Amino acid sequence: MAKPPFSNDIRTLRFLAGEMTQGDLGDRVGVTRQTIAAIEQGKYSPSLEVAFRIARVFGKPLETVFQWDDAGD
Amino acid sequence: MALLITYAGDHQMNFREKTAWLNVVAMVVAYSVYFGLLLSGHPAGREVFPMLWLFGSIAVAHAVTVIVGTVILSARAPKSERARADERDRAIRRRGATMAYYVLLVGMMVVGVYLPFVESGVPLANMGLFAIVAAELVNSVVVLMSYRRGWHG
Repeated sequence: MAKPPFSNDIRTLRFLAGEMTQGDLGDRVGVTRQTIAAIEQGKYSPSLEVAFRIARVFGKPLETVFQWDDAGD
Repeated sequence: MALLITYAGDHQMNFREKTAWLNVVAMVVAYSVYFGLLLSGHPAGREVFPMLWLFGSIAVAHAVTVIVGTVILSARAPKSERARADERDRAIRRRGATMAYYVLLVGMMVVGVYLPFVESGVPLANMGLFAIVAAELVNSVVVLMSYRRGWHG
């Protein structure tokens, strides 16, 4: 499965947010812990709504959480 | 089987992935027995009542296995996982159903082409059943592969 042309800093942001667990983030966003794990590993591209919800949990703009990878353009 | 479903490598499976494994294992076992008996000359391959009896027994055993297994998996799953499918679960389910649709379509076309050349409906019913089982297997395998390798919806 090809990786999406963007990466994310969710793992780092979870750590900076008091070592928030994948399960906690999933509960706040409305997805399962496994889906958060899949997003972190680049195995699943979240919908725009879930991407915004994740960014809102961390209080960051979307592009701080998800970065477009120019090499994968 | 429970061991396989619970510990498939270091990959963390959610409730729906485990139920997909349950479906695959139960279906492979049940219908391997059914079609294996047909290939070995069981009268269910030629006559109506033996076929209904054998198929009924296999289908009931399969259904009971899946229901009991799903109840056990559901009882062991965290509440957040069994509440409802999230968007990734739904995307993966759509992919499996789409692939299975094509398998079922081709299987039914083969049955339709075969129809004018047979007098008894039993072989046709078995071919149709095989197409359904194959489609359902493809569905479950695609779902499992999508959970394992990733799917972007």
